[in-house]
Amino acid sequence: MEILDSRLKLFLYGMGLSFAFLMFGLYMCQIYQGDKYIRLAHNNRLRLIRSAAPRGEIFDRNGVPLAVNDTSFCIMGYPLDLNTPAKLDRLSKILMRHGIPINIPDLEKTIKQQRSAPYRVMRIVPNLTMTQMAELVADYDFPRELFPMSVWRRTYPAGSTVANVLGYVSEISEEELKARTEDGYAGGDLIGKTGIERSYEEILRGSPGQEALEVDARGRKIRTLDANPAVKGEDLHLTLDMGAQKLAVELLSNWKGAIVAMDVHTGEVLALASSPVYDNNPIAWGVSAREWRDIVFDPNRPMLDRAIAGVYPPASTFKAFMSIAALEEDCITPSTMIACRGGLRMGSHLFKCWKHSGHGSLNVMGALQHSCDVFFYQTGLRTGIDRLVKWGTILGLGQLTGIDLPGESSGNMAGPDWKMRRFKSQWASGDTVNYSIGQGYMLMTPIQIARLYAAIANNGSLVTPHLNKKGYKTPKKLPVTPKKLAIVQQGLERVVSIGTGSRAGRFGVSIAGKTGTAQNSHGDDHALFAGYAPADNPKYVAVAVVENGKHGSSVAAPMVGEMLAYLLTH
Amino acid sequence: MKRFWNGLKEDLALTDRIMLGSALMLSLWGVFCIYSAAAGAEGRGFDYAFRQAAWLMVSVIAMLGVMVFGHHKFLEGAYPLFGLMLLLLLLTDLLAPKVKGAQSWLGVGGVRFQPSEFAKIAIILMMSKFLSRYPPLDIKTFLAGLGVIMLPVLLVLIQPDAGSALVYLVISFGMLLAAGTPLKYLGSLVGLGLAAGPVMYFFMLKEYQRNRILVFIDPMRDPLGAGYNVIQSRIAVGSGGIAGKGFMMGTQSKLKFLPEPHTDFIFSVFSEEFGFMGNILLVFLFSVLFFRIILAGMRSRDRRCKILVAGVASWLWFQTFESIGMSIGFTPVTGLPLPFLSYGGSSLLATFIALGLVASVAAEGVNNHGF
Repeated sequence: MEILDSRLKLFLYGMGLSFAFLMFGLYMCQIYQGDKYIRLAHNNRLRLIRSAAPRGEIFDRNGVPLAVNDTSFCIMGYPLDLNTPAKLDRLSKILMRHGIPINIPDLEKTIKQQRSAPYRVMRIVPNLTMTQMAELVADYDFPRELFPMSVWRRTYPAGSTVANVLGYVSEISEEELKARTEDGYAGGDLIGKTGIERSYEEILRGSPGQEALEVDARGRKIRTLDANPAVKGEDLHLTLDMGAQKLAVELLSNWKGAIVAMDVHTGEVLALASSPVYDNNPIAWGVSAREWRDIVFDPNRPMLDRAIAGVYPPASTFKAFMSIAALEEDCITPSTMIACRGGLRMGSHLFKCWKHSGHGSLNVMGALQHSCDVFFYQTGLRTGIDRLVKWGTILGLGQLTGIDLPGESSGNMAGPDWKMRRFKSQWASGDTVNYSIGQGYMLMTPIQIARLYAAIANNGSLVTPHLNKKGYKTPKKLPVTPKKLAIVQQGLERVVSIGTGSRAGRFGVSIAGKTGTAQNSHGDDHALFAGYAPADNPKYVAVAVVENGKHGSSVAAPMVGEMLAYLLTH
Repeated sequence: MKRFWNGLKEDLALTDRIMLGSALMLSLWGVFCIYSAAAGAEGRGFDYAFRQAAWLMVSVIAMLGVMVFGHHKFLEGAYPLFGLMLLLLLLTDLLAPKVKGAQSWLGVGGVRFQPSEFAKIAIILMMSKFLSRYPPLDIKTFLAGLGVIMLPVLLVLIQPDAGSALVYLVISFGMLLAAGTPLKYLGSLVGLGLAAGPVMYFFMLKEYQRNRILVFIDPMRDPLGAGYNVIQSRIAVGSGGIAGKGFMMGTQSKLKFLPEPHTDFIFSVFSEEFGFMGNILLVFLFSVLFFRIILAGMRSRDRRCKILVAGVASWLWFQTFESIGMSIGFTPVTGLPLPFLSYGGSSLLATFIALGLVASVAAEGVNNHGF
C-alpha cells in the first residue's frame, strides 16, 4: 500500500510541475510577448483570397471552340468594412457616378448574404468590364479596403446551337455547397448545372488558387504570405461535329423535335439537336429571376433535351425490332407470308392497317418495305409479349443508353408485370398488338432508336453513345444470327429505294431506314425516321423525331437523308 | 426512492464537496465560453450553449446516480462492462457513418454518442480490478496488463481516432505507474515508445498527422494549411493580455479566424476574453480538482480505488494539459476536448460519470477514517 501512495504523491508532483510549465507558457504568450500578439490581432489581419480556376475549355471533334473563358472584373470586399450606412452611401455614390446602377438596398442585400462570416472576402459588385473597373479604381474616392479582382466568365460561342449538349455553368447553390463540402467548393464558385458542363464537372473545374495576405487595419495589403496559384481544368474534346450539329438545328428550325447522328461502330455522337433551342450564354452570366422564369416555364420547354429525354412512341421504326425478335425466336421465317386485308379483327375491335385497302400477301421484307401493320400485328401475337420484352431487354429498350449526359430518360418497354403494378389490370392481347407497331405503352428516346439502328447497321453490336472523345466503351456483342439480321437490313434498304421512305434517298447517298408516324392524342401525329448510310457498308446512323410532323415519310425522312449525306461528304 | 434520497444526502455530506464544486464551476464557465465561441463561428451561440447546459444537467444527475450506486458495484461489473465497450467500439467501426473522415459516432434512437468516450470509464474500471488482482510487479503480469489495453486501442485506431487511442495509452500508463510497476519497466516502455517514434512517423501516421507535427515545430512552414490553427490560436491567446478583451469581445474567435472555436480551441476563446488573470483562475480550479481527486485515492484503503483515481486523474490531466498546451503551441494539435469546457455531450457525460466514481471513493474514504 505504501508504494501505491508514494506513486500517487508522484502524480501530484508531476501534475503540479506540468501546470507550472503551462503557466510559464501562458505568461510568455500573454504578458512577455503579449504586446506583439495584441498588435497582430488588432492591426494586422490575415486575409485569405480565393481565386477561381479557369475552367477547361470544350471543343468539337475538329477543334472548334464550344465553351471558352472570358475575363470580367468584380469589386471584392469584406462585409466588416461596409458595416455602417455612411460607408454604404459613399460606395453607392461612387458606383452611380461611374454609371453602375447599384443603390444602398442592393448593397445591403449583397452583404446580408454573408452576415455570418464578415471576415471573409465576398463579391460586392459583379460583372464589370475592363474600362469600368479601371475608371472605378482610379477614382480618388474609391474605398481602399475594396479591391478589384478578375474573374472568369464562361462563354459559349455557338450559343443555342449546342446548348442542349453543353448545358451551362452557374453559381453554386446553397444545397450543392452543403452536399459537396468535401470537394473544396466555396460560395460564388461556378459549377456545371446541366449537360456536358455537369457530367464532366470534375475534369473541367480545375483547382482554385489561394492567396494569404497580411493587411493593415485599413485593409491595405502589406505583403503576400503564401500563394497557391489556381490550376486550369482539363480541356475536353467532344465527338460532336459542329457542321452536322448546325445542319441538324437548321433542319429542325420550324419544328419541335430532335435529330441524333452517331457513328454506328463506336457510338461517337456527331450531332445531338433538340428543338426549340435556348441560349446558354445569358444563363451562365446570370439572368434575372424573370428571364429565368420565362425560359423554365416556356410551354415549348426549350430546356428539355428531346434527343435524350424526350420520350416518343417509336411507331413503325419499331418494326425493325419486331422483325429481329420474331425471326430470332423462329416465330416467322423469311418466307412466311401473311395476308393483309386492311385490318385485324379481335373481338369487337378492328386494328386497322394504315392502308385501308390492304397490302395483300407479304413476307417480312415486303412488310418492312410497305410498313404493313397487319403483318406485324400477327407477328407480335405469334411471338408473344414475354419474348418481345426479352428481346427489348437484350437490345437496350426501356433502359438508359449510358450517354455521358445527365437527365437521360429510359423510355418504357414494360410488360404484363408492369401493367399490373401500374394500372392493376391484366395484359390483353390488344396491348401486344399495339406494341407490335411501336404504340401503346411503348416509349423510346431518339438516342435509343439511334442505338437500335446502329446495332442493325453494324451487324449486331450494342454501342454506348458518348460525346467525350475519350469516352469509347467496347460495344456489347448481341446474340443475333447474321443471316436473319441481313433480312432486316435488306428490308430497310428497300424502304428507301422503293418503299415508304424514298424521300430519304434523294441526297446522293445510299440509305437504309424506316419511317414512323406516331399517333398523338394531343394533336397532329409525330413524324419519325431512323436510317443509316451507306446502306452496303454503314458508317453513320441518324434519327429524326418531329413533333406534330404528321408523316414520317414526308417530314422526317428528308431530314435524315440530308444529315447522312452531309456526314458522308464532309 | 426514499432510500435513494437518504443515500444521496448521506453521500453528499461525506464526499469531497470542494472537488465537485470546482468541477461544476469549470463546467458553468464552459457554457458561457461556448456561448461566446459559437456566437462568432456559427452565429448560433445560444443554441450551442443551451444544448451544453442541458447536457450538463444530465451529466450532474448521472454523476449523483453513480455516486449513490457506489463504485463497488461498478468494479464488480468491470469485466462485463469492458466486454460491452469492446462490442460497442467494434460496432462503431462497422456501422457508424463517416463524419469528417472518422467514424466515431453511434446513433441509438435519435441520440448520437461517441462510444470511445465511455470506453475510457470501462478501461479504468477494468484496469483497476485487473491491476490490483494481478499487481504488475514482474514482467509477466506487467505485459498482461499492457495486453488488456491494446484491444480498445486497436479498435479506436481503426475508426481512425488517434486522439482517443493516445488517451487510452496515457490512462493505462498512469494506472500502471500507480499500481506500483517497477520504474525500470515503465522506463523501458517509454524508451521503446521513443524508439518507435520515427517508425510510427514514417509508416503509421497519415499525411495530415505528420503535418501537425511539422507545424508544431515550425508553424510558419504552412501558414495557410496545417499551421493556420496554431498561428491563429496563439494570436488569440497572446492578444488576451493580462486582463483579456472581456466576455464576448474576442476578435479572433468572433471574426472566425479560429477554427473549431467551441470544441478543440475553446481554451483560446477563453484566454482571449479573460486574459492571463482568467487563466490563473482556470488553472487554479483544475489544480484543486486534480489535487482532490488524488487525495480521494490516498485516503482510500482499497487498492482498486487508488488505481482507479490514478486512471481518472491521468485521463483528465492529459486532456487538459494537451488542450491548453496546443493553444499556445507547446504541444501538437490533436483535437482532444478540454474537460468540462469543450462543447460535446458524450465527453461531458463521460467525465462526470468518472467524477461520480471518484466522489463515491471519496465518500467511503471519509467513512473509514472518520474525518
